[in-house]
Amino acid sequence: MYALETKGLTKIYGSKKVVNEIDLKVGQGSVFGFLGKNGAGKSTFINMLAGLIHPSSGSFTILGKQHHQNQKIGVLPDYSTFYDDLTALQHLKYFSKLLNVKLTKSELLDLLQRVELEDAANVKAKKFSFGMKKKLGIAQALLNKPDILFLDEPTSGVDANAVLTIHRLIQDISKEGTTIFLTSHNLDEVEKLCDDIAIMNQGVITVRGSMQQLRDKHQNKLIVSLKHTQVNATQMSSLRPQLEDLASAIEWGENLTTLTVDGEWLIPEINRSFLHANVDVFRIVVDEPSLEEIFIKIGENQRSAS
Amino acid sequence: MVTIGLREFQNLFKSIRSVIIILFIFSVTLGMAQLISKYKDVLGAVGGLDGDVYMGGLLFLMIAAGPLFVASLSHSAINQEIHSRTIRFLATKVSREKIVLGKFLGTALYWFVCLFVATLLILPFTKGFYFNQFMEALIFILYFVGLAIFLSTLIPKPGMTMFLGILLAILFPIIGLWSLGSDNFFIDLVSYVTPYYYYSLGDHFYTYVVLIFPILFVLASLLLIRKKDF
Repeated sequence: MYALETKGLTKIYGSKKVVNEIDLKVGQGSVFGFLGKNGAGKSTFINMLAGLIHPSSGSFTILGKQHHQNQKIGVLPDYSTFYDDLTALQHLKYFSKLLNVKLTKSELLDLLQRVELEDAANVKAKKFSFGMKKKLGIAQALLNKPDILFLDEPTSGVDANAVLTIHRLIQDISKEGTTIFLTSHNLDEVEKLCDDIAIMNQGVITVRGSMQQLRDKHQNKLIVSLKHTQVNATQMSSLRPQLEDLASAIEWGENLTTLTVDGEWLIPEINRSFLHANVDVFRIVVDEPSLEEIFIKIGENQRSAS
Repeated sequence: MVTIGLREFQNLFKSIRSVIIILFIFSVTLGMAQLISKYKDVLGAVGGLDGDVYMGGLLFLMIAAGPLFVASLSHSAINQEIHSRTIRFLATKVSREKIVLGKFLGTALYWFVCLFVATLLILPFTKGFYFNQFMEALIFILYFVGLAIFLSTLIPKPGMTMFLGILLAILFPIIGLWSLGSDNFFIDLVSYVTPYYYYSLGDHFYTYVVLIFPILFVLASLLLIRKKDF
């Protein structure tokens, strides 16, 4: 049984398909990262799963069940706002009563301690910083010890210290066996925390797989940058066909040419091509693309395809 | 549902607006009772004087200003939660129906307590608890509580429900009272959906008929909230 399974999940606002027939399976106990730029449809998707938005079509199951009732689900919605008149502790008391979860004051304080908010237990939420609100949002999502936890942008707009706390917390919760489904536009965060990811763009999933699969598929290429003397027209006519045979992408510059190649064995051949065209090479820099560059590249490919 | 209702009930007592309204209700009810008591000999000679005359003061106050009180306090019971997005925390923990029912019950309980205390305050004058008059005042207020919940579920912006609530609170008594002496077909038609028509029939039974309206308002709110996206 999957922790989460969607079939053709779609949300249409007016004439725009914000989420377009998403089929997704998320295994139990995994940390699943849902990546995408702002407006990609991530929050709409997670809000449908959290029961906050009605799908236009399609269906989903959480831990094999179609309805949320009586299920141990925790949700941190994006743009979490709290009641100004309640303290952190009062919020947790109120929400635990709504969930029908009986927790003592000391258990609630323990939960606040877990999100490093124990000093603010009796501070009203109107005085909370954005980071404190995120932490309280996570604390309330953990009240019922959820089997699956939905976190929508858990660290966006949060300072570096709070980010570390939240990351540590997510890793701890994951170790306890909770399935975590998080959305983010922060690639480093996803790379650090997630086992599996999906990249969403304009309402559709463009990439899906484990972090390793993604690296194997997209990160095996190298970016080779060569600093060289200026290339004249005659040299270019000799150089261009040779390099086009060797590289999958070339960015031509006056003194700097960047090539995307399949492996390092092609670097001597590239160098020879420049020498053969009587272009002097001063420096060769080889880079492995980061996940962020892969993400940007996929986005650019899709834009050019559409 | 009970938790949401209790929070709504507590919140209503906490607001400054609520304190002013409670003080106004209590002081006007008590003032009218004292005034009637002062001139009871004259009033008694004119048309007889029973304890329910004192209760009449409270009922008159509710009919005249009750809709305005309810509109100002509860116009944003639901849509404020949607507007501030706090509903996202509620809707991920309890069903949407329980949110609406909790809000309605909390507000209804607040008005029950207010009216009950106001009734107790004039007990020294009335020398007895006038149940029927108390229920008339309560059911009248429940009509507007139901309407406030419905508008608050239907209209997403709290500012708009504030405006509409106050507008209706002014228009309803005018149309309701106008219809009592009017032959205009449309005014008559509208009057059937206001509580004023039923209260003018002079039978306590019709007072209870008015209870149908808040039930319908709440049912409509339940249907509306099911369709909403947060």
